[in-house]
Order: sequence, then C-alpha cells, then structure tokens
Amino acid sequence: MSIDKTTLLQLIQTVLKELGEDLEKNSLLDTNEMTPLFGSKSDLDSINLVNLITDIEERLSDEHDIVITLASASAMSSTRSPFLRVGSLVNYILELIKKDNE
Amino acid sequence: MSNLAFITGTRKGIGRFIAEHLLSKGWIVAGCSRRNSDLRHQNYHHFNFDISDESAVIKTLKTVKKTLFPIKVLINNAGIASMNHLLLTPLESYETIFKTNVQGTFLMLRETAKQMSRSGGGRIINFTSIANPLNLEGEAIYAASKAAVESLTKTAAKELAPMDITVNAIGPTPIETDLIKLVPKEKIESLVKNQPIQRLGTCDDIANTIDFLMKPESNFITGQILYLGGIN
Repeated sequence: MSIDKTTLLQLIQTVLKELGEDLEKNSLLDTNEMTPLFGSKSDLDSINLVNLITDIEERLSDEHDIVITLASASAMSSTRSPFLRVGSLVNYILELIKKDNE
Repeated sequence: MSNLAFITGTRKGIGRFIAEHLLSKGWIVAGCSRRNSDLRHQNYHHFNFDISDESAVIKTLKTVKKTLFPIKVLINNAGIASMNHLLLTPLESYETIFKTNVQGTFLMLRETAKQMSRSGGGRIINFTSIANPLNLEGEAIYAASKAAVESLTKTAAKELAPMDITVNAIGPTPIETDLIKLVPKEKIESLVKNQPIQRLGTCDDIANTIDFLMKPESNFITGQILYLGGIN
C-alpha cells in the first residue's frame, strides 16, 4: 500500500475543507502544511480533531486501500503530537505506511 | 439510521441468546467468535476473529460497514473467566484474561465509536461482573479485568457523549452458562445467598437490561454500571 506526499496532502486538505464548510470556519477552507490542527492556534476542538482523523482513516481505506489507525501515544502532547500541523500529520501518516510495509 | 447490532462472543451462552433475542425483534445482527457459529438466520452475519487482534477488528468492522450498515449498537459480551487462588495464578492467565476482556473491549469500542460518530451516534453496552464489587476470592484477575472495563465505560461515556454515543455496562450475577460450569456448586450457592434477590440470573434478565439500554428513550443514560440481583 502506498500514497505519494502530494496526494496525501490533497486528501487531508479536502477533508479539512469539508469540515470547514460544515463548521463554517473559513480558516479550514484553504490550508497548507503549516495550518495548525491541534493546540491553542487551531480552529479545531478535540471532537473536530477526532472527526478529522476518522475521516482521513476512512478515505485512505476507501480511496487508496490503505488501512491504518491514526492513534499515537503522544497525540495530545503540545510539543510532540503528530497532529500539531497538517505537515506533521502528512509525515506521520507516510511513516506509518512505511512501517506497515516493512 | 441502521438497525444493526454487533455482538461479540455469539457462538454460545449469553452472546448467542442476545443475538437470537435481537433477531427475533427484527434487528440485523453481526456477531463474532474465534470459532465457527451454527447460528443460521437470514439477518445474522458471523465473523470469525479474535477481538484482541487490532488489525482483525479494524478489517472486520470496515467490512460490516461496507457490506451491511454502520453499527448502531455494540454489545461487548465476549469475555473469559478463570478461577484460581491468586498465589497459584500463572502470568499467562492474567495475559489471556486482560487481552480478551480489556484489550478486546477497548478495540471494539474504539473502532465502533468511530463509525457511530459519523453515522449519528449509537449505543455501546459493555459487560462487567459482580465479581468486581463483591471482590470475589478466587477471581482476582477476572475481577480486576472487569474493574478496568467499568473504568473504561465511565470515561468513554464522557468522551463519546458529544458524539451522541452512550456507553454503559451490565454486571450479571452468576448465570447457567459455560463460564460458571467449572465453579464448585457450593461456591455458586454461597454467592447467590449474598444477593438481595437470591436466585441465579437468567439470559432473559440480561436481555431485558439490554432492551432498556437500547430504547430510544434511554438516550440520557450513560456511564452507568447496572448490576443485577440487587448487587451494588
């Protein structure tokens, strides 16, 4: 199972855009790798973040046949969380896929 | 909303009874066990897997959602017990019991709640036991695993309430099932004598409690541990 970085980034941006439309939050409509997902600078509360993560898991499975669980022991860490920014989430997912393929 | 209930441990005992009970009430039921089931019904779908196996849980629940419906009710019934003196209990018993009773309940709850959060909510019913509140001697590890399930139930209830998911647990008294057939008769009798209502439980008692927790009107009830027979 594999996905390239650009496609993964686009997938996350699409999910964020849909979430932004649902929540009426303009900051989520046009995101980039630096967009914060977690912490005081983020527009997402913990429930929104959980919904985002489950949506991404579902799309990876449905559209790319990639079955992974985006759980992390440091998920709620303000310094080490892989969910801090869009860019760190992209890298985290690529790492998980690489590990699964090993 | 779908009317699909997923029940773990449906090959025999309480799980089998609850599966047949919900099928008779028109529910679509998905069930699982490690071995094959001989339950045959047009609305019953059986899956063979170990609930403590993370990848098997994820794969199966995705299949259920894709080929049937999103899960509306999860009944985390599967569990194993072991009776032994604490000093004679091998580490292997601890590992096996916690793997099924705690890890299995956690994995099923986590993956089902993800589905429920995207499909308008749902009900999760876990299984504990009176072995925990009664601190039953000979059941130290089993009771500890059920204490963990109770704690998980209460915290999950808080975290999942914003997603319209209720999480409760049922704590049955001894019931005539395979789980207690190896327990000495005198032990069961003395246990029953300690209950305010002094009789063995029945599968109907459990079905009634599940019906209550599944009722649409029970959407204000979460984080509760419901012991049967008057135990608290």
